[in-house]
Parts: sequence; C-alpha cells; structure tokens
Amino acid sequence: MTLQILLAISAILFAFGLAATLSRSNSIMILIGIELMLGAANLNFISFWRFSENPSDLAGILFAIFSIAVAAAEAAVGLAIIILVHRRINSVEADDASNLKG
Amino acid sequence: MNIFLELVHFLQAPNELLRWFIDLLGSFGLPQWILAIISALIIIGTVIGVFLGLFALMSVMERKILARAQNRYGPNRVGFFCWRLCGLFQPVADGIKMITKEDLVPRTADQVVHLLAPVVMMIPALMVLAIIPYGRDMVPADLNAGILFFFAVGAGTEVAVFMAGWASNNKYSVLGAMRAIAQMISYEIPLVIAAIIAAMISGSLSPSAIVAAQGGFAWGFVPQWFVLTPWGFAACLLFYIAALAESNRSPFDLPEGESELVAGHLTEYSGFKYATFFMAEYIGMFAVCGMLVTLFLGGWQAPLPFLTIIPSWCWFFGKVCFVAFTMVWVRATLPRLRIDHMLAFAWKFLLPMSFAAFISAACWHYAGRGPLAWLLSLAIVGIPYLVLGTAFSNRFAVSRRTYQFSE
Amino acid sequence: MICDFLKTCCADPVNFLGDWFVLLPAMVLLLAGGAAVVMRNLIHAALCLTLSFIALGIVFIALGAEFVGFVQLLVYVGAVAMVIVFAILLTKPDQLTKSGSAFSGLGPAGGAAVGLVALVALLGFIFTSPLAKKPLPAPASAPVAEIGQALMGDYKVALIAIGVLLTAALVGAAVLAMEDKS
Repeated sequence: MTLQILLAISAILFAFGLAATLSRSNSIMILIGIELMLGAANLNFISFWRFSENPSDLAGILFAIFSIAVAAAEAAVGLAIIILVHRRINSVEADDASNLKG
Repeated sequence: MNIFLELVHFLQAPNELLRWFIDLLGSFGLPQWILAIISALIIIGTVIGVFLGLFALMSVMERKILARAQNRYGPNRVGFFCWRLCGLFQPVADGIKMITKEDLVPRTADQVVHLLAPVVMMIPALMVLAIIPYGRDMVPADLNAGILFFFAVGAGTEVAVFMAGWASNNKYSVLGAMRAIAQMISYEIPLVIAAIIAAMISGSLSPSAIVAAQGGFAWGFVPQWFVLTPWGFAACLLFYIAALAESNRSPFDLPEGESELVAGHLTEYSGFKYATFFMAEYIGMFAVCGMLVTLFLGGWQAPLPFLTIIPSWCWFFGKVCFVAFTMVWVRATLPRLRIDHMLAFAWKFLLPMSFAAFISAACWHYAGRGPLAWLLSLAIVGIPYLVLGTAFSNRFAVSRRTYQFSE
Repeated sequence: MICDFLKTCCADPVNFLGDWFVLLPAMVLLLAGGAAVVMRNLIHAALCLTLSFIALGIVFIALGAEFVGFVQLLVYVGAVAMVIVFAILLTKPDQLTKSGSAFSGLGPAGGAAVGLVALVALLGFIFTSPLAKKPLPAPASAPVAEIGQALMGDYKVALIAIGVLLTAALVGAAVLAMEDKS
C-alpha cells in the first residue's frame, strides 16, 4: 500500500463528488456531492499523516477533526437553507430557484 | 482438593480458564493464528450467549415485574414439561411464535431497505458489547477510546430506525421514525456529556481505566464509586434518564406507543424481523446499563473490601440486573411523555444540568478533592437543579382540580 | 482479551489482514460513493452516502487514526446523514419516485466529463509528484491523550474558534428552519 494508491482513492472520491455537484438538479444531491468532496479531502489529510516521517506531529489528524466539525456545521446550515427555500417555492430543484433570472 | 481450588480460581477469573484452554490447544501444535481465531470466537460466543440469555430472561421478568406492580401475576404458565417453573420458559414460547409467524412485507415497501433495517439495528447493539469490562481483566476489546467507540457505533441505531420507518411506505411509520430519531439525537447529548464527565475525572476514555479509577476504599471501607459524589450522582441520573430515552423505554416510549402511532417505525414488521428489533432494543438496553455501571457504579468492583471473594463478574452482572430492574420499575410507575414535553425536557433541563454537572466535576477536581471541593461541587450541581426544577414545575403546573357534580 | 490474543499471534494486530484492512473498506467507499452519485431515488442515495461515510470511518481506523475514525462515524453517520435524511423527508415526501430529470445543468455526460478531467489532472499530479513517493513507515498511533494535549495546547485557538463556529452555525440553522409563527 503506497501513498499514491490512497491519494488516488481520494482523487476518485473527489471526482465523484465533483460530478454530483455539477450535474444533479436536486439541491440535496448537490450537498451530498459536497460532503463526498470533503470526505475525500479528509482522507488525504489522514493519508499524509500516516506516511509522514514524524507521526507525533498530529497536525494532519487535528486538521481532519476540524474539517469534520466544519462539514457538520455546513451541512446543517445548508439543509436549513434548503428547507427554507422549499417553503418559499415548494421545490428543492436548484433550477426552480430562478426569481432573479434574466 | 487441588481441583476444587482450581475450580474456585477459574470461577473467580474466567479469563484464566480461557487462557488455560488456549494453552492446552496450543500444546497440540495448532498455529498461532488459529488459536487467535478460536479464542476470539469463544469470547464472542460467550458474550452473545450471555446477553441473549439475559434478553430472554428479561423479557419474561419485565412482564412479571410490571404485573406485580399492577397487582396481578405475569406469565406463569409456560414451563418445562410438567413443571410450571413460574412461567420462566415464556421466552421459548415467544421465540417459537415469532419464528413461525408469517413475515408480511407491504407490496409497495422498499424490499431491500425493509430487510436490512433489523440487521443494521442489531449490529451496533452487539458491537458495543465488546468494550464493556465484565470483570477483572475481562474486557473483550480494550480500546484506547472505548467510550468514543460506544457512542460512534450507537449512532448506527438511528440509521436503522430511519430505514425501518421509511421503508415501510407508511405515513405513521415515517412519522414515528422521525420522532424516534429526534428523541434519540436530543438525548444523545446529555448521555455523551455524562459519560465525558466520568472520562474526564478518570483521565482516560478506556472503560477499564475508568473502572480502575473507581477502585480503592476511602477510610478503608467506603467505595470510591463516582455515583457517591455530587457531580457523579447528577451525571449518573442524567446518563440513566438519557439511556431510558435512547432505548425508547417508558416514559420515553412515544415512538413505540400503541395508542399514538400504532407501533411507530415498527408497524409493518412482523415475525422474526420484529423479534430482531425487540432483541436489539433489549440488548442495547443491557449494553447501556453495562456502560452506566462501568462509568458510575464502579464496574466490577465490590462495594466493601471483604466482599471481593464474590467474583468480579458476579458483581458486574448483579449491578447491571439491578439497574435493569430499576428501568422496569420506572416503566411501571411513570406515564408516557408527549413528544414536545420530551424534547423540551431534553433541551431545557437535561442539557443545562449536564453542563452544570460537568463544571461541578471540574471544580471538584481542581479544588483539590477535599471537603471544600465536595461542598463546592454540591452547590454547583444543586443550585441549577433547584432553579431549573422550580422553573419547570411552575411552567407545567396543574391548577387545582375542581369537581362539579350534576344536580 | 481479543486484542491480547491477537497481539500474541502477530506482531501488528492491525495488519492482520495486511493491506486489505485498508483496501477493502476503500473499495466499499468508492462503490458506495459512486452509487450515491448516480442513484435517482434520493433516499437510496442518502443511504449509500451513509455507507460511504461508514467505510471512510473504517479506512481511518485502519490507517491508525482511530480517534478520527470514531469521530467520523459519530459526526457524519450519526448527525450529518440524519440531517440529510430529515431534510429529504421534510421537503419531498411524495415525489421520491418521480422520474423527472435527475440531472440538469451540465447533464450526466457533462458532469462525468468534468469529473474525469479533474480525476486525470489529480492522478497526474499524484503519480508524478516526488512528495507522494514516500515509503510506508512503521504503524503509528495517535493516543487520545496526545490529541487532547495538542487540542488544549498548540491548537487551543482553533478549538475555541470551532466552538464559536459550531454554536453560530447551529443557532443559525435553528433560526432559519424555524416556522414563522407571526
């Protein structure tokens, strides 16, 4: 198991998240894509920590912990916004929130 | 005589018995990895066997204790051939009934998720049994972050409840599942904070270290369990109430209340799948009782120095059975809470009280653990309790009942 | 006790399965992540996402960062997945099986193309960069006590900032989602 394999796994996961965020119409699916991308980034942090020369430097682990906390906060706020928008326009499709369009 | 002493020693420390057995097998020339697998299987089999037996006993004892509280007998017919045995074979009859019942799945239900929900519910319930210390040196997996493992794996239960509720394609199931998850998430915070209080004072997240921190006897005969301190008593009560809510037990059993939501998220389950949910709930209840005993009641420690001749695992299971008995007692005594009362209780009473207990424990430690520290911690826990308690009881006060008789 | 017996039989109990301890959950992670992206049924996508979170947590534990793995399971599976599921239930209870167009904007082909371009770029960097050509060191452990010391020591400002951020985010989310009772 090399670092490159772990980074490749995280890159594939990131690509999945990116494809979901850019192509799905449902805003909750977009959020799912964002969560996948954040997970891939966390995997990168932990892989680099695992392969570092002095693992007693816990920067990678702590960064991953903070990233998980921030992702949780962002998911909560994002979903609250989605619920609020749904109450207004009665739809969760991102294309339907087009009041300011053209 | 020697054999007798050996037997007594093995009774005191079953892990020595296991080690003797594995050494015996090793002397036959088996490779190390087979020995490791055999020992792991024996440990897993014992733990699951003990807890399934406790589940079976609990299911009939709960009905009998509830019945005696209601001035009637519980199940007392099912016995073994010609002996009644006070109905203690009722679980066998219940098991046969559950297995032979028709497994109905609604046609429009999501088949895969409906099938997987009981499995996903059972897995965390069994996994958390691995970190509980059942006796001296008798913890199946001594993890460095055992308490965190307990809560992390317990989060899987919420996923299972949602899967069960949604897959049934039934409005009441979905509603029951949402209420159950809201309840579980709300009560998880006082549960975790109460556990963190015990971990903070012990200085470790490992359950065996927390039990060891409650060892020793003050003044020679008073046990140093955390429940006997002001902050520990508050934290134990918080953990207990939150554990009742996490296991969906009365008075927090609105998600399963027959009169409100049919059976909530379990409406469309019958037969063995329902038995699996039932089993997962009870095993979860025992696991969380075991955690309460570990964190606050001293784990496998005996209460008095001369009582250590009774094996440590006897003390542990005795304490767990006592806590389970009190849970059944509470079920027999208190009425069910409404969902908004339940959530208000969690967020407006238990959460501030858990913070107060946390600060009280920290002050107890940093004030030197002397008599002043005890008074200070008592004040820090007692004053918010009195304030919040009076605020709540004034809010939900019932007016004086007046009667009017027809003329 | 199981850990004891495992330690007596092999030098490194975590590597009992060798590399497959990491690679098997990683394969589940990729499969579940891919499934979560292409599923039409939103609840199935959310459940696949939960499975991918669980697999990611197991990968973290297998890499030796047990604390992060447990935190991942506790926070992502116990909280984020539940919040996503609640949002789905509160916003679309009737249209879950509606087979409208699940893709918009770039469409499935466009999204896959952009993902592929990003993947190729990232893999190019990964397999050519000298930073990634490191040998596997001995298994490291990050005991919880050390993480606690670091959080309260070098990283105390970050810890307090995270606390403020989480409080603000949760109070904000609660206020946003509250029904207008006027």
